[in-house]
Amino acid sequence: MENQSHILRAFDRDLESIQAKIMKMGGLVEAAIAQAATALETQDADLAQAVRAGDKAIDALEHQVNEDAARILALRQPIAGDLRTVLTVFHLSGSLERMGDYAKNIAKRTGVLMAMAPINGSAKSLRRMARQVELMLKDALDAYIQRDADLAADVRARDLEVDQMYSALFREYLTFMMEDPRNITACMHLHFIAKNIERMGDHVTTIAEEVIYLVDGAYPDDDREKGDQTTQGGANGG
Amino acid sequence: MNMMQDAKAAAMENALKISARGVDVFYGDTHAIKGVDVEIADKMVTAFIGPSGCGKSTFLRCLNRMNDTIDICRVTGQIQLDGEDIYEARVDPVQLRAKVGMVFQKPNPFPKSIYDNVAYGPRIHGLARDKAELDGIVEKSLRRAALWEEAKDRLNEPGTGLSGGQQQRLCIARAIATGPEVLLMDEPCSALDPIATAQVEQLIDELSSRFCVVIVTHSMAQASRVSQKTAFFHLGELVEFDDTDRIFTNPSDQRTESYITGRIG
Repeated sequence: MENQSHILRAFDRDLESIQAKIMKMGGLVEAAIAQAATALETQDADLAQAVRAGDKAIDALEHQVNEDAARILALRQPIAGDLRTVLTVFHLSGSLERMGDYAKNIAKRTGVLMAMAPINGSAKSLRRMARQVELMLKDALDAYIQRDADLAADVRARDLEVDQMYSALFREYLTFMMEDPRNITACMHLHFIAKNIERMGDHVTTIAEEVIYLVDGAYPDDDREKGDQTTQGGANGG
Repeated sequence: MNMMQDAKAAAMENALKISARGVDVFYGDTHAIKGVDVEIADKMVTAFIGPSGCGKSTFLRCLNRMNDTIDICRVTGQIQLDGEDIYEARVDPVQLRAKVGMVFQKPNPFPKSIYDNVAYGPRIHGLARDKAELDGIVEKSLRRAALWEEAKDRLNEPGTGLSGGQQQRLCIARAIATGPEVLLMDEPCSALDPIATAQVEQLIDELSSRFCVVIVTHSMAQASRVSQKTAFFHLGELVEFDDTDRIFTNPSDQRTESYITGRIG
């Protein structure tokens, strides 16, 4: 379908333009994740500030994408695969916008953490976790633009690793806090950062599921294995 | 709307009205319809869509033997209405057409009064014993065609004096006056403005609780609005036949998707 153009070519241009905006948003979010993690690791206040300021551009793109999508619905009345393309765009822009917010929140907490005594090795683990999510996002966006449901399914499966990393960090921070109450403030911030990254992974999973819906016309119905054990009492240290 | 369509489709799943098997149509040497099998259910709307020349109207006209009137046209295969072969020698095409009514693209009222347009069929088929009974049929038909309120005070005026949308509803009243079981509609709205189109679509929806309605339309949006089942024809073949919401959200055949999304004409 994708290599066959519409008889009315303006319709193709509309669909291409809106998908280009999604890819642009995706690029900005990938960069925001990487920069937020780097700023945290290198204690770079300027970079953290840049991430916070950059979120405005992501928000603006989300509004543009949603307005364009509404216009396509009203003027072109898309159906079948075209309709799924437009519906998917709404979900993708929403997920990407949320991911941008999480990156911004990480940058905010970085500023607070810089005023405190560093917690041993924590920034490196968070950096690894962020890197994992960033790669998942890159693959999810590749799967989107190439209409590759297999790659999307692979991305979806990889969220398990992010969840496991989060569970491990949760336990680690808990241990630090129990060892020395003076660590609590920093560890609370670090925990929120880990949670933010874990949430980003969930949004990437949503994007991957949207790609599967876009390609197959149905959402995957199997239950994914969940790696987050923190709500099941398995990580409370006792 | 989908839930309504689903419920309707589920409730009526077994009420088979028309069954076509291996239908081929030739115009002279031209093979216009190629081995079409289709099962059309009662009391719902089935839409035939497809590009011009795909055979959808030709196939529709097979269902009440309108193609008999074309000398070079030859129909083979089997078409059953309620399990009876409509092409059998003993079937009278005129009687068949009283059971399987038809509405055409262009409103074509007879150059007679509104009353006589509707009374024409019941009169020639001897459906009314006296004037009072005929009056009753005319009123009932005009009411079902949602034209009664507009026409009741001018029943003796010529049908051709009505607006286009009213004329089409008059033709629908005329078609249902003989008490048909099936209503065939060949592009019934293509000569109408959007308001008249909406009125006819509303009427089709109402009629579908009483009749088996088969509509040929060039408007994909119309097919998606009024029908519960959709058949896509292409180059004389029936490419895909499925629930309308399935055809318009996730069709199984690539050719269907290309056509409905405006990629092939």
